[in-house]
Amino acid sequence: MVGDSRTQLVAAQLTRETLLALSKQLREPEWLQKRRLEAFDLYQQLPMPGPHLEEWRRTDLSGLALDSLTPYGQGMILEDELRRLIAFLKSLTGAPEGDRKEEWAGLLVQGSSGVLLQDQSEALKAQGVLFMDLRSAIREVPDLLQEYLMVRCIRPDEDKFRALHAAFLAGGTFLYVPRGVEIALPLISSVWIEGEGVAIFPHTLVVAESQSKVTLIEDHRSSGGEAQAFSAGAVELILGDGAHVRYISLGNWALNTWEVSTIRGILGRDATLHTLVASFGGNVVKVNVESILQGQGATSEMLGVFFGTGRQHFDFHTLQEHQSPHTTSDLLYKGALADRAYSVFAGLIRAHYGAQKTNAFQSNRNLILSDGARADSMPKLEIMANDLRCTHGASVSRIDEEYIFYLMSRGLTRIQAVHMIVDGFFSEVLDRLPLEGLREGLREEITKKMQGRGT
Amino acid sequence: MTADLIVRDLHVAVEEKVILKGVNLELKKGEIHALMGPNGSGKSTLANVLMGNPFYQVIKGEVLFKGEDLLSMSPDERARKGLFIAFQYPVSIPGVSFASFLRTAVSARRGYEKELMPISEFQKLVREKLGLLQLDPSILTRYVNDGFSGGEKKRAEILQLAMLEPEVAILDETDSGLDIDGVKVVAEGIQALYERSQGNLGILLITHYSRILKYIRPHTVHVMFDGRLVVSGGPDLAEELDARGYDWIREQYAVVTAEIQETGAVRRAGKVFWVQH
Repeated sequence: MVGDSRTQLVAAQLTRETLLALSKQLREPEWLQKRRLEAFDLYQQLPMPGPHLEEWRRTDLSGLALDSLTPYGQGMILEDELRRLIAFLKSLTGAPEGDRKEEWAGLLVQGSSGVLLQDQSEALKAQGVLFMDLRSAIREVPDLLQEYLMVRCIRPDEDKFRALHAAFLAGGTFLYVPRGVEIALPLISSVWIEGEGVAIFPHTLVVAESQSKVTLIEDHRSSGGEAQAFSAGAVELILGDGAHVRYISLGNWALNTWEVSTIRGILGRDATLHTLVASFGGNVVKVNVESILQGQGATSEMLGVFFGTGRQHFDFHTLQEHQSPHTTSDLLYKGALADRAYSVFAGLIRAHYGAQKTNAFQSNRNLILSDGARADSMPKLEIMANDLRCTHGASVSRIDEEYIFYLMSRGLTRIQAVHMIVDGFFSEVLDRLPLEGLREGLREEITKKMQGRGT
Repeated sequence: MTADLIVRDLHVAVEEKVILKGVNLELKKGEIHALMGPNGSGKSTLANVLMGNPFYQVIKGEVLFKGEDLLSMSPDERARKGLFIAFQYPVSIPGVSFASFLRTAVSARRGYEKELMPISEFQKLVREKLGLLQLDPSILTRYVNDGFSGGEKKRAEILQLAMLEPEVAILDETDSGLDIDGVKVVAEGIQALYERSQGNLGILLITHYSRILKYIRPHTVHVMFDGRLVVSGGPDLAEELDARGYDWIREQYAVVTAEIQETGAVRRAGKVFWVQH
């Protein structure tokens, strides 16, 4: 076994005492401990979201036994599994088998909340880039953390889960890219939940200073088991003027894992943010993905792919918030639903008064593969500007039998034909990704989901 | 030698409407049969039902392909056994790469079970066939039929014929919608494939016009009318139809229909015959 034992809090629960014990154990600075306790108070005060709120009408968390979960767990992993995980992460960059380090700029692997592996190129360090787990960041660059951590982007008082996250946040990724620094190769970070009955609170903070450029791929997975596991994550992406950030979140959780997370980007003037959220695993997964186009000329591309099987439940609430003129957002979320899987997409485009010459596009396409599967799609517009281009489209459809007949008439079995059509359905999103290894990795996930079922 | 494709008294309906009312046809490998007839006579229905399009319901009759019951096979089994259709209106399938589709199809036809045909072998094969049909290799990087011009769609269908090397190919109005040059390229491609097959390819060439028959000489010409094959003859029949149109068939068919209702017997009026089963 490899791992970090410093955060082991065996059989503790999500209480104030646990929080204090943890903070002391980590010898955290006072400001952080204070923020944690404030957030915990908020967590206790704020009501549990439920069907009385529009946002939670279709996603039921009553089955989540929050009070019986242990924060962090053990953070251990079998060496075999770690090796397999690293091989997978390497494949995302397009590197062939073997150790070709130059294919990524940095690699960070964390089990529940402890660091298992950390590796980054010397060039990266020389350029002043900081890429580390959150705990190291708190130790090494406390001023930066105090300035940014849940202050400018996501705030603890927004809802109960964000408060909970702010109280217990640990693990996750801190990435700081100085002004003008461009990193060509991707940085990869993986978070792993080991064990059952565990809750984790990974926090990702990316500060990309003006004119910088970086790609961060985050992989999320869990070991599975009978009892529940839970991740309440938050991703803050802060883009200075002219910064280019590509953020990719891979949801490969085991089926016992629930997730409630927020990914939010704040874009400065002429900044460009690309996000991709790929959800294949998990039990009930709710992710809010938001782009706040604060600076004039900012651009955000928001991509999503998901594939639900069994009784999986995915909920995506997206926000394209145009606060300034000449801003552009382009959202495309595509999902396939099989068996009794259910997906919810609620996408809001909001253009503020004065956000003239805005371009906002939103498209959500869902492919239903079984009678018991369901997809709800709810586009919503709040437009206060009067000179803008805005389109949105949503569809829920089945595979066209004509497509199947055409492919079968060439000798493909029905299963092959369906697989090819589903693959093609996702191509529209995948073809937009400039990372070949990642595209292949996603195709393999789709194949696995297809093979896991009858047709 | 018995024929490779035998259609006996085939009746087919689409959503309760009977389209084919007793089709009889025999085709051997190495033969080219032209199937002509006015619009709406049932030519495309025959093509689709032979390939197993689930939209059509067989209500009576049988079809043997290489001695086996074709109608009990799924479309993919039919294809793997060597039956092919070039569609009149091929569907475009967004997102599905033409190259990977072709490679999967060729692999299925050639009996690769788990793996696909090696990529180098596939590329060699496809390059050769692309040249034959004057298709730009960039077509392989596009999605299946997506954004193809009318001519590209038809040539892409024949490219699939070339790749899959079927024993019996049904070409459903492969010449329609093309200009003279387009017809020439497609027809010459088909003719070349036919010649290369050295007697191992039978073709049922469905066409509304006779111009493609200037490039591809059929051994037999059939005329379909009101869901039946009512006239069969040699290549000269196509020329006659070209010169005279279909009206004379319509008239003779009316005579036969009237008589058969009275007597229930096998009738013939001029060239039009009808065998009551």
